[in-house]
Amino acid sequence: MPELLNDEIKNQIREVFNGLDKPVQVEYFGKENDCDYCAETQQLLEEVAALSDRLEVSVHDIDVDAALAAQYGIEGAPSFTLTGKEDGHLVDYGVHYLGIPSGHEFTSLINDLIMVSSRKSGLSDATREFLKSLKDPVHLQVFITPT
Amino acid sequence: MAMESPLVQADMVESYEFQELAERYGVGGVPHTVINDGLGNVVGAVPEGYLVDEIRQALGQPAATPGD
Repeated sequence: MPELLNDEIKNQIREVFNGLDKPVQVEYFGKENDCDYCAETQQLLEEVAALSDRLEVSVHDIDVDAALAAQYGIEGAPSFTLTGKEDGHLVDYGVHYLGIPSGHEFTSLINDLIMVSSRKSGLSDATREFLKSLKDPVHLQVFITPT
Repeated sequence: MAMESPLVQADMVESYEFQELAERYGVGGVPHTVINDGLGNVVGAVPEGYLVDEIRQALGQPAATPGD
C-alpha cells in the first residue's frame, strides 16, 4: 500500500510532535477478515508513530487477543486505545477510537496523542473536580463521520 | 475527560464503519455524543460545561448552579 501521509503533512506533524513529553503506546486491534479499514488504520497509526520516538504502536488481533481487548473495553475492529507508558507498564486512559480516524478525526488523533503524552487533559478546574468526584462509570460515545 | 477519571471511557466512533451502533442510538447529525448507552444525548459540538451538565443529568445528579 502506498504511504497515506505525504511529506508536507509528515513535516507538520513532526514539528508539533517535537513537544511530546512522555511515551504513548497505541494499543491497536484489527482482524484478519471482514474488515474494510483495518489495513489502512494500522498503516496510518504506524506512519504517525514513526514521526516521534515517544510513540509506539502495538498490533493485536481482536480475536486472538480477545482477553486484552475485553480488558480495555474494546469490542470492534479496527479500534485502538491510547495508553501512557510508565516504567514499562501501560496506563489506559479510556481514550478509544473505533474506525479509521480520517478527515477531522485525524486532527483529533494528533491532538489526543499530544494530550496523552502530556498527561494533562486541558479541562477547566471545575470540570476536573466534577470528574474526580464521580462514583459511577461514565461511557461517552462520540459518533462522527469521515469528512 | 477520560484522562481525568478512571471511571470515564470516551470512544470516538466512526459511524459508517460502526453503522449498527450508530443506528442503535439513532445517530443522524454529528458529532453526536451518547452518554451511558442513551441515558443522555448531546448533538453538536458543545462547550465543556454543557457536556458536564448532561453527564450529571444522565447520572441523576442535580445540575450545577445556574450560570456555571
